[in-house]
Amino acid sequence: MSEHHEHHIASAKQLWGIGIALLILTVLTVTVAGLGLPSPFDILTAMAIALTKAFLVAAFFMGLYWDTKFNSMLLIGALAFFILMVSITLLDTLYRDDIVPSF
Amino acid sequence: MANHSATHPKHVHHHFVDSNQQFESAKLGMWVFLVNEILFFGGLFCAYIIFRAWYPELFTQAALELNTFWGAVNTVVLIGSSLTVAMAIRSAQNNQKRGLEINLLITILLACVFLVIKYFEYEHKLHLGIAPGSFWNPTPEIAAVLDHPKANIFFGIYYMMTGVHGLHVIVGIGLMIWLYIRARKGHFNSEYYTPVEITGLYWHLVDLIWIFLFPLLYLIE
Amino acid sequence: MANVSTSANSAASTPMKLKVKQFQPAQTPTNTYLTDEKGVWAWLTTVDHKKIGLMYLGSVAFFFALAGFLAIALRTELWTPAKTFIEADTYNQLFTLHGAMMVFFVLVPSIPAALGNFILPMQLGAKDVAFPRLNLASFYIYVFGAIFTFLSLANNGFDTGWTFYTPYSSDTNSAGIIWVTLGVFILGFSSILTGTNFITTIHKLRAPGISWDRLPLNVWALYATSIIQVLATPVLAITILLLAMENILDIGIFDPALGGDPVLYQHFFWFYSHPAVYIMIVPGFGIISEVITTFSKKTIFGYWAIALSSLAIAFIGFLVWGHHMFTSGQSAVATTIFSFLTFLVGIPTGIKIFNWVATLYRGSISMKTPMLYVFIFIFLFSIGGFTGIMLGALSVDIHLHDTYYVVAHFHYVMMGGTLIALLAGLHYWWPKMTGKMYNEPLAKIAAGFIFIGFNVTFLPQFIMGAQGMPRRYYNYIDQFTPFHQTSTIGSYILALGFLIILYYLAHSLFKGKKAGPNPWNSRGLEWQSTSPPDFHNFSHTPVVIHGPYDYHQPIEEFQLGLAVEHGHGEKYLAADATGSEAAETTSA
Repeated sequence: MSEHHEHHIASAKQLWGIGIALLILTVLTVTVAGLGLPSPFDILTAMAIALTKAFLVAAFFMGLYWDTKFNSMLLIGALAFFILMVSITLLDTLYRDDIVPSF
Repeated sequence: MANHSATHPKHVHHHFVDSNQQFESAKLGMWVFLVNEILFFGGLFCAYIIFRAWYPELFTQAALELNTFWGAVNTVVLIGSSLTVAMAIRSAQNNQKRGLEINLLITILLACVFLVIKYFEYEHKLHLGIAPGSFWNPTPEIAAVLDHPKANIFFGIYYMMTGVHGLHVIVGIGLMIWLYIRARKGHFNSEYYTPVEITGLYWHLVDLIWIFLFPLLYLIE
Repeated sequence: MANVSTSANSAASTPMKLKVKQFQPAQTPTNTYLTDEKGVWAWLTTVDHKKIGLMYLGSVAFFFALAGFLAIALRTELWTPAKTFIEADTYNQLFTLHGAMMVFFVLVPSIPAALGNFILPMQLGAKDVAFPRLNLASFYIYVFGAIFTFLSLANNGFDTGWTFYTPYSSDTNSAGIIWVTLGVFILGFSSILTGTNFITTIHKLRAPGISWDRLPLNVWALYATSIIQVLATPVLAITILLLAMENILDIGIFDPALGGDPVLYQHFFWFYSHPAVYIMIVPGFGIISEVITTFSKKTIFGYWAIALSSLAIAFIGFLVWGHHMFTSGQSAVATTIFSFLTFLVGIPTGIKIFNWVATLYRGSISMKTPMLYVFIFIFLFSIGGFTGIMLGALSVDIHLHDTYYVVAHFHYVMMGGTLIALLAGLHYWWPKMTGKMYNEPLAKIAAGFIFIGFNVTFLPQFIMGAQGMPRRYYNYIDQFTPFHQTSTIGSYILALGFLIILYYLAHSLFKGKKAGPNPWNSRGLEWQSTSPPDFHNFSHTPVVIHGPYDYHQPIEEFQLGLAVEHGHGEKYLAADATGSEAAETTSA
């Protein structure tokens, strides 16, 4: 750890570029949703676009691209544990003999 | 006892060796806190996924009651505020006091716009009786379209997700106002802008959550 | 500090011309964290991790006494099969309160927030935790959460059991439930802040020379614990929030009457609460590792095995929560997988036990009180662990679920494990915290009372559980009377043991003999400061050149590291990067 550690300063051009990319992706996801793709593909494209947007925000707005790898690891770790939670719970809910009926 | 060296800058707390150690610690601490936030919202996303896997038709039906246009507008608003926060940090790093203040103000403004739009969305739904829990009492027209027996569950999840997210936006506005006051007093410069940086991280996370909420709630056709 | 002798050291001749000293803390310190600022206000507003740790310790002891008192009342009520002296409704509220207080107010904060807060920065050679003000905030959040729980008692109370299972907890519409769930929600934040603080401290505030392979095992254990706290506690927070909304608004996600799924609540709850079991026990493992080396005068056997098994337990702990739900109606696929994964937890835990026993082998064991508790721990925790494996077996659990067998199992793990480890740690670090020694013979007698009392209380519960006595029942059939009465007598012996501890610790505070800086001749960094420590923990920044368990040299020749002027540790290392051992490692 040195005394004079340079923090990365993103250029205004970079930041605006990311902002505009996010805007375009938002328009894209609304347009694709309007097309009415068949069942698994609509959610898959929506999530793919959302993940791309999330990646842009995390990498450049939050500066993970220039940051220590450990901070990226924390973010990925949190997502991994979220996926773990969902997938193990699904092991129960998808394979129930009968789901709780409506009253 | 305390053996403060003369080179210790004023903003560095006594238990840190130097400014950089303090900055890196604050940032790491914030990231660990964001891990918390992700799993906090994770519980709600988990409930969403479980119920959507059980009742896919309910989600297609119920999402029609949500206004895609205003959802998209709010997405753009939040993305814009994320951009201005990033610009605010950049201004602080470059010692641009004026730029920092303006960017923080725009961020606060955009966050308020988000809440106002959200308020009108809620108001519209409550007016139609699409209310959470025991207040669930849809008008006959709505009930005719939304005839799923578990429609209240979708809106339970909807109100919880957007409500908790909205609370985070309100907290974010409070933090931005605090930053703005400190920025006016000239507390931040290229040597010390830690609060701006970590509040920025928080704000981006609020944006990230919305990036997923928008397609999951509004864009089901 | 005038008392620190300066020695001519080779490292002193660096170009930086820094004053380098050997660690030689003063026998009788003139200025300590206890004398630095005085008065109640100074304590209440302090950001010193040591004082906050002690405030936590006091609160935990208070809640332990309170919840322990409830336990005695419950055991007394169970003396006869029918009513002894408490009404059935009160009984339900008391066991709920006992469980909730022991879990959320005692076990979760006990070792990390009380002892950990005090010891962790000292073991790292740091002056404080990374965020001292957050640390104080987390203490007040804890107090605030406790107040909410007491407010619940004033509003009808709650009798759901500490797990707050839906739909009972959402249908009773008791104001008490809302208050207590909000209290637990708030307490969660306290836990989250402590975890966040510790992770950051361990990553960023290690003294020069403390590389990852020189981290004391207690720190590794607290690190694993903090990771669980950060990953699991927010899920509890959202679960509790949903439960509160269920009560306030009837949103129906968990309530079958409104179309929701009560088993989903159990998934959410145990996604936190099973890892939370490891939040309680893993820090205990850390203490055992520290104490066992000190009193065996031997380096730890299998350093990396113990360190990494803590992380392994933390990870596997997230995969097994469904074994609490074998009879809940969850799918057969899930139960089978959960049962299999549950057995995996036994592996890292077994690794730890074997490594501790191997550490004892040919060690020069001195049977001081902390070591006595270590032996009690290994004995009781092994019983708790093995019965846990039995409960993880699917078919066996169907029979034993919700019986006294489960009650006995988790008391063996939580009390025989966590609380005994807490006692080991308390007796081990007491001289460091207070600068005083306690009455050793009396301490051993108290340990005897606790060991005997504990077994008399909980061994009969295994038997009657296996015979079918359900937990949480107010009445029971006559055949269980002898078991219940033995158990009750045991609980009185146990209580007596704790009263003896209270007596001699209080006595030690006022009249105890002065403890030197290192009464156990430990090699740990925390023992290289004065007792009680300086406000900044060390009068100089330590530069560590040895591992924490280097017992191969006699204490007179042992040198853990060097001490340099505060704020120059990093520079010292940078300047000396060519030669000495200290420079071989870098921090953070």
